[in-house]
Amino acid sequence: MPAPGAPPATAAPRTVLASGEVRTCLLPAGQALDSRAAAQLLRLRADERVLVSERPNLYGRSPDTLTGVDCPLPSAGGARVRAVGTVAARAALTEGRVLQTSAYFTLPASGPDHRRPWGDYLVRPAVVEPLGKLPYDAVAAGLLDGGRHGDLDLGLIAGGLLTRLLRHPLLDQRPPLRSRQTRLRWVALTAPAGEAPALERFTLAEDELRTVRLRVPEDIPAADLAGLCEDLALHDWLLTTLVRVLDGIRLGPAAPGTWPRTAGDGELPPTVRALRPAVDHLLHLWMPRARVSGRLAPLWEALEERPGFTRQWLALVQRVRDQLTLHAIPPVHREVEPAP
Amino acid sequence: MTEAVFRETTAEPRTQAVPLSHLSLELGHLYMEDFEAGPEHLRRHFARVRPWAEAARAVAADRAGGRRARISTCFLIDDYFTRFASPAEVVPMLLEEAERAGLAVDYLARESACAVSGKVPVAEAVAARIVEEPPPGSYGNRPPAAQTGWLANGVRSPTARAPQAMRKVAAWEPPRETAARRHSVFLDVELWNETPDGERLWSCPFLAAVWQLARLGLLRHQGEAVFEPQPHTGAFPDEWDDLPPLVRLGERADPFAAYRTCSVLPGRFLPVEHAVRVILDQTDVDRDALRQAAERSAGEGVPVPGPVADRVSYVFCEET
Repeated sequence: MPAPGAPPATAAPRTVLASGEVRTCLLPAGQALDSRAAAQLLRLRADERVLVSERPNLYGRSPDTLTGVDCPLPSAGGARVRAVGTVAARAALTEGRVLQTSAYFTLPASGPDHRRPWGDYLVRPAVVEPLGKLPYDAVAAGLLDGGRHGDLDLGLIAGGLLTRLLRHPLLDQRPPLRSRQTRLRWVALTAPAGEAPALERFTLAEDELRTVRLRVPEDIPAADLAGLCEDLALHDWLLTTLVRVLDGIRLGPAAPGTWPRTAGDGELPPTVRALRPAVDHLLHLWMPRARVSGRLAPLWEALEERPGFTRQWLALVQRVRDQLTLHAIPPVHREVEPAP
Repeated sequence: MTEAVFRETTAEPRTQAVPLSHLSLELGHLYMEDFEAGPEHLRRHFARVRPWAEAARAVAADRAGGRRARISTCFLIDDYFTRFASPAEVVPMLLEEAERAGLAVDYLARESACAVSGKVPVAEAVAARIVEEPPPGSYGNRPPAAQTGWLANGVRSPTARAPQAMRKVAAWEPPRETAARRHSVFLDVELWNETPDGERLWSCPFLAAVWQLARLGLLRHQGEAVFEPQPHTGAFPDEWDDLPPLVRLGERADPFAAYRTCSVLPGRFLPVEHAVRVILDQTDVDRDALRQAAERSAGEGVPVPGPVADRVSYVFCEET
């Protein structure tokens, strides 16, 4: 029995906007998870496979789950556009060490002026449909700025999934180093057909918030855009975290003492103690574009040009290694270092 | 773009396709009380069902246009809520009475297979796919349906808490159906409850929703098909557990799963099937399975409706 007044299936209107939010954090576990444990953590649905990949690095990704929404969209102009649909969310684990959750959806240019039966929305996952016409520029700006209370909140969805995963019994809640969670919000406006995708802006805002503005042809799937932004978020988090590790150490020669340089209780000196977790758990994770779709991979180049993500990473890694090398040199040789 | 040189099978999802008929026609459910009422009861049941079954066939044939419509019939026996008699007693009698009415049962299914099919916990997997219909004002907060075991088609009436000091007793507020047209028909469905041993007992409407998804060919477990029919050989066993979850009785039967389903049921099943619709309307079905059904039905010129619940139809007939 069809629902009374169910609309006939029609061609979907053009997608004009895609948006998402990525949360990135260190997995709170003493040891990195192997691929089996990763698959267990990411099994959000018993009947759907977790994607596990071992090349070029160890990576697992959960199936998408959906959250139903019916609320106003954030909008810079103050226009309150109600929209109904589903937001997709998924989780990914890189090298058993960095956990990310990502929520995303796309918006068509317009929708019917009333809400449809729910079954119509469910068969179009990750599409949120405006009631009426979408003022997409204002909404794109609103999505990056964050809306008012009661507006669509992707952070709630990505954050909710992250919270759920962080409570998983596989995790012993003993992270090897201190780090903070980062948030990356992104929007992608549609570029005219034939134009190359472009990364228009990457902004480092306060409170570990990053925003990314893209312009891409309509036929690029939102899941691919989410994949690109997860990759950007992962590497931005690595930079942020390694900068903080190096920020926390006191440089200069260690206090004179016996060699090998261990504290009385067999502990390593503070600098080595601070840097070692970075070597154990972070330095091998840098691998931009590992899983970014072919057409979006060139977008990394804008960030490599300025500010130079990989350049900064290599410099930081070099610093970590130099510090550890200095600490490996017996003190008798270090005493004859040239005076400052 | 050129095809990638390197491939990794665990990183690429694949979903098995299942053969699909035009229509899956259900000739009835059998519960213990039906069996206990004797063969005459079943005889009357099939006699009532027959004209409606023929009407459903005619509709499917009409929709198929000039081509032969593939139609399979099925029958569901409850071995989940009550275990009665044995397949060796029940099945031959059932088939005989169907045949007497001029009806052929192509597939026989056990209701417990809708809970756990072989080793696959089907009901649990479907429960994990429920995406609740958001009432207006849902901005990303997830309602905790999965925890409570209930699913509604709208917003429940606020619970009356024990009145606290200094606080007025809140006036009663009605529940509201989200897709209401002026007035609500609010329905709150119990999906499961727990036995004293802490085991989950699935409700009849929930298993019936799983049954519909099975008949629509939309269930997968890690990409593999579930509910694969086993051919019938020899005599029927003495234990229900020895009977395969889904038995193919007709050797030349059309495929079990189909683009659409029609169930001919006594009117007392109406509330259960209303609940089935509420559940199907809020279930996020395997996307590849959905795509396969959509593409193949469109290719045959009989496109399926998008919403899964709209692929399901019923004839509610008189009680026997």
